[in-house]
Order: sequence, then structure tokens, then C-alpha cells
Amino acid sequence: MLKKVTLVALGLVLSATMSLQAKEQKVLNVGMELAYPPFEMSTKDGKPSGVSVDLAKAIGKSLGRKVVIKNIAWDGLIPSLKTKKIDMIISSMSITKQREKVISFSIPYAQADLAILTNPTSGVKSVEDLNQAGKVVAVKKGTTGNMYAIKYLKKAKILLFDKENTAVLEVIQKRADAFIYDQLTIYREWEKHKKTTVALLKPISKNHGYWGVAMRKNDKELKAKVDAFITQAKKDGTFDKLANKYLKNAKEKFTELNIPFFF
Amino acid sequence: MDFFIQKNDFQEEENLKVKVYLFNFFFLAIIMILFFYLMFSYTQYDFNWSNIYEYKQKFISGFLTTIYISFFALILSFFIGLFFAYGQNSKIILLRFFSRFYVEVIRGTPLLVQILIFFYVFAANIGLDNRYIAGTLILAIFSGAYISEIIRAGIFSIQKEQYETSLSLGFTIFQTYRYIIFPQAYKRIIPPLTGQFASIIKDSSLLSIISVNEFTMNAQEVNAYTFSTLESYIPLAIGYLLLTYPISLYARHLEKKMKD
Repeated sequence: MLKKVTLVALGLVLSATMSLQAKEQKVLNVGMELAYPPFEMSTKDGKPSGVSVDLAKAIGKSLGRKVVIKNIAWDGLIPSLKTKKIDMIISSMSITKQREKVISFSIPYAQADLAILTNPTSGVKSVEDLNQAGKVVAVKKGTTGNMYAIKYLKKAKILLFDKENTAVLEVIQKRADAFIYDQLTIYREWEKHKKTTVALLKPISKNHGYWGVAMRKNDKELKAKVDAFITQAKKDGTFDKLANKYLKNAKEKFTELNIPFFF
Repeated sequence: MDFFIQKNDFQEEENLKVKVYLFNFFFLAIIMILFFYLMFSYTQYDFNWSNIYEYKQKFISGFLTTIYISFFALILSFFIGLFFAYGQNSKIILLRFFSRFYVEVIRGTPLLVQILIFFYVFAANIGLDNRYIAGTLILAIFSGAYISEIIRAGIFSIQKEQYETSLSLGFTIFQTYRYIIFPQAYKRIIPPLTGQFASIIKDSSLLSIISVNEFTMNAQEVNAYTFSTLESYIPLAIGYLLLTYPISLYARHLEKKMKD
């Protein structure tokens, strides 16, 4: 009797692990922070949506794997990738040297530059005005804006925030002189707070920022496939479709302001 | 067998022989070290401590900030707690109602929300721009509500007969509290109070939301620059233990002293 029970139990355990392994190959876990509309956001009923979600699904389709979107806080994205909780990050993440030390990026799929949100009383006209003693700069922790500030704005006082809305609030309340983030968000925040903020949309650094899909360093096969997909998608208009679906108004505004658009 | 087993009766003082104590202590230490070592050596995570070491100044300054903030919040929250413990049983009805309202609201809402509202609404209105002072204040206000309840519970746990007896023996109300109620309540207040003080230290980590560069915030910052998550957070856990463990040790020492 006991023998039978153990055999059955063993069989169950084995089949469970087998099915788990089989599942692992099928599912593609994509990590992103759903807090960056219109790239990563949730619909009203809580489903992930946005440019990155559609992009992830398209990549999954080309790989023949079912996509599961995992909503992970920005700080946790790279650690989750390293510990195999997710297989790739598609979260409007800029390709930086520092990040490339620990993960590998696909070829760029979009371009994004940093801009400044300031308030009417700060007297800030350009990024040069910020690098002075007494100036306070707010950034979101771990973003390219954060890296830019600690590298080039050494004289200013830098405040780190977890959420961009607290950083914007600091600018509105004049506690901070500027918030450095990407152009689109800066533009949208200014639209919400036209009276209390000023948007300086001119790119602050000479070199453009590029977004890539992040993967583990040893997943070379996956990287090759994703690179091939991005090259293809740029040609066949997949990205244009995405831009028209989510970014129509922004695209018009950017063209008006003569700022290079994402795709 | 004597090395492993010793009877431990209800409310009895521990009196282990030094040899037995050390043996058990090191035995446990070895087991724990082995356990953690094995756990960590089998993660799919390659540790890289060298890039964390570069940022050691960040850890030290964050640690000190946490100590400052916790220290002042601790003292302030004790007085706030004392005041509202009194306020909840005050003659003035308005003060009584207000004290109860304060305790319920603070204990019933998340600290994170309180920090945001306090800093971006109240502090902004009164022109309090220093985020460190604002952070210390809100932490003290938050903890004060809990301390007020701890003190009140301690005082209320003394039987009414003692109060009545001491009044009938001719003590004034002040003397009754001073010589009869407080000395007994004090013993019952100390253990939960020290627990609350340890909580203040840990709760101060939430101040990172308003960009106070305390211990947790700086560890997160190092993590953001180096992407070495575990290496940033393990020193953090050890650092908090260094702060909270002495408090609980001291509490035990006080409890022992009061028994005599």
C-alpha cells in the first residue's frame, strides 16, 4: 500500500515538474512598470495596455510564445530579469553603459531625449542654469534623468523620488527648481499644470537616448531573434501603427515643435 | 543531555552555566551561518561586493540620518503620546474628542499617505520647507498615537480598587498617580513601548517618498546605480538590526530590574 502511495506521489511530482518545464518554454514573461502612459499603462479594468504591451505581444507572436506581462516597480525590473523572474524588460528603458554592464539590450527601437519641467519663478531657461549652488533638481530614481543629474549637475542639490508625480509636485510647490525626465512626460505634465509649470522641451544632452529591449547577457539566441524582429518591424510599419494608435496627438505636437519623434 | 535540555518554569530566572550557554550559542550560530550560506550559495545570483564598497559613504550617511531622525522622533513621540494619553481622559470634552479622533485617524491610515499629505499639504501651507524636520515631525505624530494607546492601556490595567483605596487613605489624586498607579503601570508600559521605538526606526524608511536621504533611500539609490540589489539590501538589514537589537536588549534588562 505504502509503496503504491509513494509511486503515485512520485508520479505526480514528476508530471508536475514536467508540465512546469513545458510551460516555461511556452510562456514569455515580459516585465514593465505600468506607470508610464501611453507606453506602459493599465486600462480602466486593470489590463495592461500601451505601446510596450503591444510590442511585447508582437515579439511573443514572432517567437511563438505566449506573453505574460508582469507589472514590476522600476527599481525591481533589472533584478527580476537577473533572477529569471522575467525573460525580458520592455519598459521604455534607455540603453546606458551602466545597464549594459549587467544586462544586454536589443538594437534600439525608439529614441527619447531628456527635457526639463520648471516653474515660472525659478528663472531657469536652460539646463546650464541648473548647475549652480542653491538650485534643486528633482529626478526619478534610477532613470536616465537621475544619471544625467549626478553626472552633469554636480553643483545643484539633487532630490530622488520613486514616483514622477511627487517630483512634479515638488516643482509646482517651488521646493524644486526643475524635474528632469523624458520630453513626452514633461510635455504632458505641463499640459496638466499650465499655470504652475514651464516645460523646456529642447533635448538637454547632445547625444540622443535610445530605448531597447533588455535581456539577460547569456540569452544570446533570444537577443538575435528580438533584434531581427525590431529590424523587420521598423521596415513593415509596425511601429508606425503603434504610434498612430497611442501617440497621435503627441506626434503632431512633436512635429509642430520640431522635436524628433520616438519612432 | 545537560547541554541541550534545561527546565524552564513559568516566570523563572534563567541560570545557565557559562559552558552550556556558550555551547548552545555557538551551536545555533553555526547552524544559522550554514543555513544562510547554503541558501545564498544556491541562488542564481552572482554577488559583486566591490561596486557596493565604492558607495560606502552613502550607506554611512544614510545610517546616520536614520539615527538622527529616529532619535528626535522617538523623544517627540513620547511627549505627544503622553499628552494625548492624558487628553483622552481630560476634563475638557473638546480635548477628549480631539485626542480620540487623532488616535483613530492616525492608527487607521497608512503612514505613507500621512507623510504625503503632511508634507505636500500641511507643511507646504505653513512654509515648512525642510524635509528632514517635516519627516521627523510626521514620524513623531504617527508614533505618538500608538504610544498614547500604550500608556493609556498601562494606566487602565491597574485595578480601580487601588485607586479608590489610596484616595480613602488620604492621598491626593496627584499623589495617587505618582506613588500608586504610575510605578505599576510603568512596568507594563515598558515592553510595548520599546517595541514601538524599534518600529519608529523601521518606519523612518518610508520617508524616502519625500526624498529624505535616510538609510533605505540611500541603499535604494546605490541599487539604482549598480543594479546590485541583494548587495545593497543586505547591509541595510544588518544596519537596522544594529539599531533595533540594543533597544530590545535594554528593554529586557529593564524588565529584569523591575522584577526585583
